[in-house]
Amino acid sequence: MTAAAAPRVVTTRQAPSDLTLSFVDEATVRGVAAAGGDAEWLLADRLAGLAAFAALPIETNALYTTYVDLRNARLADVRPYTGPAVVAAGAAKAALLPEGAAAYAEITENRVTALVLSPAAREAGVVLETLDGLRARDPELLRQLLEGGCALPENDKLAQMTRALWSQGLLLRVPDGVRLERPVVLRWIVGAPGTALFARTVISVGEDAEVSVVEEQVSATSSASATAAPSGPTDPQAFFAGTTEVQIGAGSTLSFAGLQDLSLRQVAFQHRSAVIGRAATVRWALAQLGSRVIRSRIDNTLEGNGSTVEQAEIVFGSADQLFDLTSYTRHIGRDTTGNLLSKGALADRSRAYMKGLAVIDLTAHGTDSYLGEFSMLLSRQARSVAIPSLEIDQPDCRRVAHASSVGPIDETQLFYLESRGLDPDEARKVIVLGYLEPVVARVPLESAQDRLRELLEAKWDAQAVARPAVAAAAVA
Amino acid sequence: MASTREIVSGEYQYGFHDDVDYLEETKAGLTRETVEEISRFKDEPAWMLDFRLRAYEHFLSRPMPTWGGDLMQIDLSKIVYYRKPSEGEEKSWDDVPDKIKKTFERLGIPEAERKFLAGVGAQYDSEVVYHSVREELSKVGVVFMGTDQGLKEYPELFKKYFATVVPPEDNKFAALNSACWSGGSFVYVPKGVEVPLPLQAYFRINAENTGQFERTLIIVDEGAKVHYIEGCTAPIYTTDALHAAVVEVIALPGSKVRYTTIQNWSNDVYNLVTKRAHAHANSTVEWIDANTGSRLTMKYPSIFLRGEGATAEVISVAVAGKGQHQDTGAKAIHLAPNTRSRIISKSISKDGGRTTYRGQLKVVPGATGVVASVRCDALLLDEGSRSDTYPYIDIQEADTSMSHEATVGKISQDQIFYLMSRGLTENEATNLVVQGFLEVFTKELPMEYAIEFNRLVKMEMEGALG
Repeated sequence: MTAAAAPRVVTTRQAPSDLTLSFVDEATVRGVAAAGGDAEWLLADRLAGLAAFAALPIETNALYTTYVDLRNARLADVRPYTGPAVVAAGAAKAALLPEGAAAYAEITENRVTALVLSPAAREAGVVLETLDGLRARDPELLRQLLEGGCALPENDKLAQMTRALWSQGLLLRVPDGVRLERPVVLRWIVGAPGTALFARTVISVGEDAEVSVVEEQVSATSSASATAAPSGPTDPQAFFAGTTEVQIGAGSTLSFAGLQDLSLRQVAFQHRSAVIGRAATVRWALAQLGSRVIRSRIDNTLEGNGSTVEQAEIVFGSADQLFDLTSYTRHIGRDTTGNLLSKGALADRSRAYMKGLAVIDLTAHGTDSYLGEFSMLLSRQARSVAIPSLEIDQPDCRRVAHASSVGPIDETQLFYLESRGLDPDEARKVIVLGYLEPVVARVPLESAQDRLRELLEAKWDAQAVARPAVAAAAVA
Repeated sequence: MASTREIVSGEYQYGFHDDVDYLEETKAGLTRETVEEISRFKDEPAWMLDFRLRAYEHFLSRPMPTWGGDLMQIDLSKIVYYRKPSEGEEKSWDDVPDKIKKTFERLGIPEAERKFLAGVGAQYDSEVVYHSVREELSKVGVVFMGTDQGLKEYPELFKKYFATVVPPEDNKFAALNSACWSGGSFVYVPKGVEVPLPLQAYFRINAENTGQFERTLIIVDEGAKVHYIEGCTAPIYTTDALHAAVVEVIALPGSKVRYTTIQNWSNDVYNLVTKRAHAHANSTVEWIDANTGSRLTMKYPSIFLRGEGATAEVISVAVAGKGQHQDTGAKAIHLAPNTRSRIISKSISKDGGRTTYRGQLKVVPGATGVVASVRCDALLLDEGSRSDTYPYIDIQEADTSMSHEATVGKISQDQIFYLMSRGLTENEATNLVVQGFLEVFTKELPMEYAIEFNRLVKMEMEGALG
């Protein structure tokens, strides 16, 4: 099979907005629906997603069409998992629960390898289950949560593809009034070459509740932070498309930390959306380290009066990674707050496209909106694109501002550290990791914070080691 | 000056037009024959006809832009692409036809000339009809004339630089301009010559459904210095007019060019302009650009920093009132090491108007030591108005220092309260705050222009508050 595929890779010239997937069709969608035993409404919902996928261009926002590049996504030969997740024996064993966590779900490719709640969380009425499990237990609730695409953006081709083809999913429900002290940990272990996994995660938080979530997307084989070796054009790739769909009621708080450290043979699409109710708060802390091509989109809808979103995102790129990161924040209610910060450190030939748009509707009196996009370029070949945009209809705002900067490592900081006895490489490392630290500190679980620090450090060391080799290759 | 009452009641200060007998004009609509006819009227060399036809073909094949402002209301088939008001270029004021002269007198041009102008290029419709250059400037070799005349008198210089900065393929309206351009200014400043006074040109659109496609080419040789001022006023009409100009500036090594525009087209004009400069080594290019008129302006003065040590500055101001959309901004493309750019944009939206800042800052690989900054401030004066900011920052060189800041806000009630407590009326207080907001622009203007511009803004504000 690979031998037959090889010539095609060489002869096909791919346009930046071309997606090479070969299985997004009605037969596959019907196959997924049949394998999961979908109800009629769900099949119809999938087909609606497929129709939207077929009708939409990759980028519907004319502001961003020049900054789309999927040329490194070579997915013509990947095949999707169609059957629902198989729950492994012993997945509910209490011993699997990580220390300090309230609940834990682990999905390895198409198997559920852990699904466990702490007794305290169970008693409080917290639910963490697979969407497949929910389909059997409470089909009406599943319908209520998913029908109509839930909060997935209607104008996003790739989100609609996931709506059509998802075979795995998780539901986290936190009832009214429940404040979980310990975080819920969700871990996706994916990346088997030639596979495509479509997954949805629905987080439903009631009123006056509080929960924190740590989501890890990692690779079973090699993580991006452990190896800086770029993948070649013919290496088989893996594909992962995942969503986070948040509904949050009045007065509640969700802190969500997302850590993406997939392998450099991975192409990943993420769609995260939050519809935020009155006086509710969503905090995103997102770290993007892995994947050859990662395209992420976040939609924050500040619907309720006094609602807040705080979003911090870091990117650490190496090799020829592309981080294509879009966020939309729409202010609708009164006195809403949007505080968004993106920071990138880019080594080798890595690229980051940071596209942020804050929209302030006529109804959004008293808005406070800040959008910051900052990059540090660590190599001559790296590239940073920032498009921090605003669309404003309501003049009565507390603050509307955005800022952006790009530059190399500050020479005076470097000089200072070197004067204190650090060697130049060590000094660079301290500066870059310190630059990313504010987002690390926002991860709600201490062990996850430490893990992220370790991953960042490992990635730094890997790209620092790889750098002379890359330079030599360039000369040759 | 028109009274506030006239402004409020919708009387446009320069909203008169004369009935001129056009000697030559093309039929409405753009065809290959029209383009050939324009070239024939002008008795142009063959290469220019070829150029026009190439541009025409590109214009046809290029789709209308779908981004930016609403262009659906433009009916390209109703526009007269060329008209020529009188025979040839006039050498002296006395030879200018009376009707045209009257229009200029009402605009105050002769007076302006007597007072301080180095030269006047006045564009009446599509042809330069009056042009004079002060003797001392011609003596040192400064060329300031209509672009058509420039093509005839300096064919080699013209051909060397024409369309090198803005090729016809750049965008649909640059292609349209390239196909049927007429008039505009041709400026050449020889090596080491500093032009002590601003060169300025007035432009007007006259006659309903007139398309105006002026083409300006400014070449500033090594070590030379010039300030060019373009101010526009246009009569008011009921149907939509189109203004699609192209301005090309070539700043050769060590030169300094400033290009100032006060755009005050009447509110039915579509103003779709391509303005671009090439800045060679150690040169400085400054675009000082204000947009208060037109229905829709799409204009992003650009500087390609091609030579090491070049400097770019853009100060851009936009005021959008009822029914207006100012889609403006700036571009700085850093192609060489140690180049610097600074972009400052100020916009005001009111009475349902919309301002959009759309800018691009790009640093290519190898352009080390670049320092660039962008600052956008917007004032939103009332509900129903809109302000957008779309900056594109594309940095492909690590050794770059770039910063961008933007804010959007309303007029602070504290400031108004303070000023009113000192005896100003609310209108006066608001006006003062707005003038302060725009000062970074106004202070760059020659005094006469600064006064005129402040008056213009005041009129706009009174229109808003009255």
